[in-house]
Amino acid sequence: MKDQLFERLSNAIAEGEVEEAVVIVKEGLDAGIPPLEIMEEGGTKGLQLVSQRFSEGTAFLPELMLAGDAMTELLALVLDKIGDEGASERLGKVVIGQVKGDLHDIGKNVVSALLSVNGFEVYDLGVDVEPKAFIDKAKEVGASIIASSTLLTTSMPYQKDIVDYLKDVGLRDKFFCVVGGGPVTPDWAEKIGADGYGRNATDAVELCKRLVKSGSAPGAKTEIVDLAQI
Amino acid sequence: MSIRIQRIMNSLEKAYTGPVCSVKEWDTKIIPRTIKAKLKEHRLENTMDLDNPINCDDDLADAFFKAGYELALEMGLLCTDTERIIKVTEKELQESLREYPEEVKFGRGKDQVIMRPRKPESEIEPIVCASLGIVVSEELYVPITEGLIKYPKLVDVLHGPTLATVYGKEVRSGTPYETLMGRYETELRRQATIRAEREGIGHTGIAGAVTHYGHLGGAAFFPGEGNNTMSLCPVELKTSMSNFHRIIMGINCGHNIRAGGFSYIGGYAGPAEGAILANIATDLLLPVILQATYVSSYVYDLQLFGNCGRKAVWANSVAIQAVSRNTNIMRNKIVNETAGPCTEMFLYEAAVGLMNHCVSGSSKTTQPRSAGGRYTDYLTPMEAWWCGEVFKSCAGMTRKHANEIAKKILPKYEDKLANPDKGYSVRECFDLENMRPTPEYEALYNRVRDELIELGMPLDKVYWTK
Ligand code: B12
Repeated sequence: MKDQLFERLSNAIAEGEVEEAVVIVKEGLDAGIPPLEIMEEGGTKGLQLVSQRFSEGTAFLPELMLAGDAMTELLALVLDKIGDEGASERLGKVVIGQVKGDLHDIGKNVVSALLSVNGFEVYDLGVDVEPKAFIDKAKEVGASIIASSTLLTTSMPYQKDIVDYLKDVGLRDKFFCVVGGGPVTPDWAEKIGADGYGRNATDAVELCKRLVKSGSAPGAKTEIVDLAQI
Repeated sequence: MSIRIQRIMNSLEKAYTGPVCSVKEWDTKIIPRTIKAKLKEHRLENTMDLDNPINCDDDLADAFFKAGYELALEMGLLCTDTERIIKVTEKELQESLREYPEEVKFGRGKDQVIMRPRKPESEIEPIVCASLGIVVSEELYVPITEGLIKYPKLVDVLHGPTLATVYGKEVRSGTPYETLMGRYETELRRQATIRAEREGIGHTGIAGAVTHYGHLGGAAFFPGEGNNTMSLCPVELKTSMSNFHRIIMGINCGHNIRAGGFSYIGGYAGPAEGAILANIATDLLLPVILQATYVSSYVYDLQLFGNCGRKAVWANSVAIQAVSRNTNIMRNKIVNETAGPCTEMFLYEAAVGLMNHCVSGSSKTTQPRSAGGRYTDYLTPMEAWWCGEVFKSCAGMTRKHANEIAKKILPKYEDKLANPDKGYSVRECFDLENMRPTPEYEALYNRVRDELIELGMPLDKVYWTK
């Protein structure tokens, strides 16, 4: 019965059926299955499944986004049961957005969804986001990473503005700043003093994982992740 | 009040009064579910044929058209600012198809060209516009633009690159620098057309108008008929007040309206078949809702950052044929190359993509997208010339013949699509003083050209830049 429930849950998550996933988790909790086991065996498996299907081309952006949403809801649901342990389940908080003037959001949405299905708590500010709005949100939610995306060369200066503003107000060592998007290069990341660059969404996940696990303070060096080039 | 203003105001009104729907709901639920259901209802799921990247099956194209037509009527466009749906009735859609122009003129005097609807395999020569808004340095803007339009037989309309700076200052999107850039871009483009002796060429602008500010700043300096306003919509099946700003300004200036919206394989529309449906619906909705004189839309592969892979080639062939066979709507279909200037890969990607779009029935293209448009100064006139040569030469080819050729070219580059060759910047592979590629680039061009002629591509038909 337990295995069946886990399988139902992972399928519901992979298919982006948020409401159904919530019902199944409640069912599991009522049956006395430990919350962490439900999240691990059902939730995380579902997320792995959808990531894999996405890269194979059998699942698409909506499923990926909804799977991320489902996981956020499920965590909220089990959080009071598992207390602090639950917090450590997630890798950290990321504030992400497409910088000012830029409406290209597909790539950013893929990154945002993949970060979410890989265990980060993601706050997506959408498109056309002012530099300061990233920082305000990061302060408000206590994020460890600010991720900015742009596909426009004329919007790249706003990525620099985020880093500069943090420096000017003495908060540079509080948030890792990572950058990506079409015209963004490792050179640019280094030039503006960002903490990291990733070429695609998989790189973005690897980058954020490396940063939160690095133990070093933000602002020290620039981590470049481009797995396809290796 | 002109009829164009009346109609755009009608859509604007609907953007404030239509049914409410959040962007999130639209993207993650309404679009995917409706498209999935349509594909199922019309038995179009899993119809992709990767062994035949250029579709030759008319019945399949017509079946997709029928489903795409229904989708257009069921969905409409979501306005992202008001989160309301702009719906159209079948009567409105039919009226827009009936009243659709038989031709569109670009430019004036000796530089005037005429765009016409094209059916698949049409012998009518399609129109080439150059370039896409790839960013270039301010000091190179005029010579590169002059080079792009140097050969009237290859390039008919000018869109132009995007400026990295305005009077030496970084152009920041959505700021007064962008508004200033709008006017400045028109001035530099005028200089380039004088140098190329093509003052009457039709303009599509403003290339650097990342938001509507640049457009509002510049459009009035390209006044009148024969010029075009570009207004691109967020995906899928969405529009915004920024689109309306551009279009109303365009109508004020007497421009043709080139409205567009792209469809992603792997995105909200799902698989390649879903992206085709979304693309057909976009082609149908933009003339009626946004008063598009012609539509600029196409299918793009999210995983491959372009549309020169097999899936996207197939999807574009079906989508273009579907609309060409069943309506007169003229469409600008872009090929998204991923490799950069002076690479074999770019020449192959452009050859397959443009041959496909031409034989499938698109009326126009805008090119090139060298290096995916990612890097400053990775654009030379040579790529535009090559695209013009291929696109125009392929007019009159059969789809069957094109499909056989595509099958031979695709394997030469498809493995590299995930990690394409970056190529060289303009200063490294093109001589802007003499307006010629470097000897290496020219040799590469000659080699690939000969190879493709050998494979059966009629490249000797239009013009030889040698
Ligand atoms: C689709 C598209 C559009 C659509 C966008 C729809 C949407 N909702 O997103 C529309 C039609 C609206 C559009 C409009 C415009 N566009 Co456009 N567009 C494109 C196109 C074809 C594809 C972009 C895309 O979705 N790629 C696929 C995604 C998956 O890739 P990605 O975004 O790069 O994201 C990946 C990585 O970069 C990385 N990543 C992304 N973000 C982050 C963040 C972090 C932190 C990390 C680590 C990694 C990371 O992971 C992602 C997933 O793998 C590109 C050209 C191309 N071939 O790429 C032009 C392009 C980006 N556009 C361009 C231009 C100029 C415009 C316009 C200004 C045109 C105009 N004059 O109107 C407008 C601007 C509108 C605006 N204000 O933003 C230029 C930009 C040139 C430049 N260097 O500045 C390009 C390059 C085209 C060109 N000229 O060659 N566009």
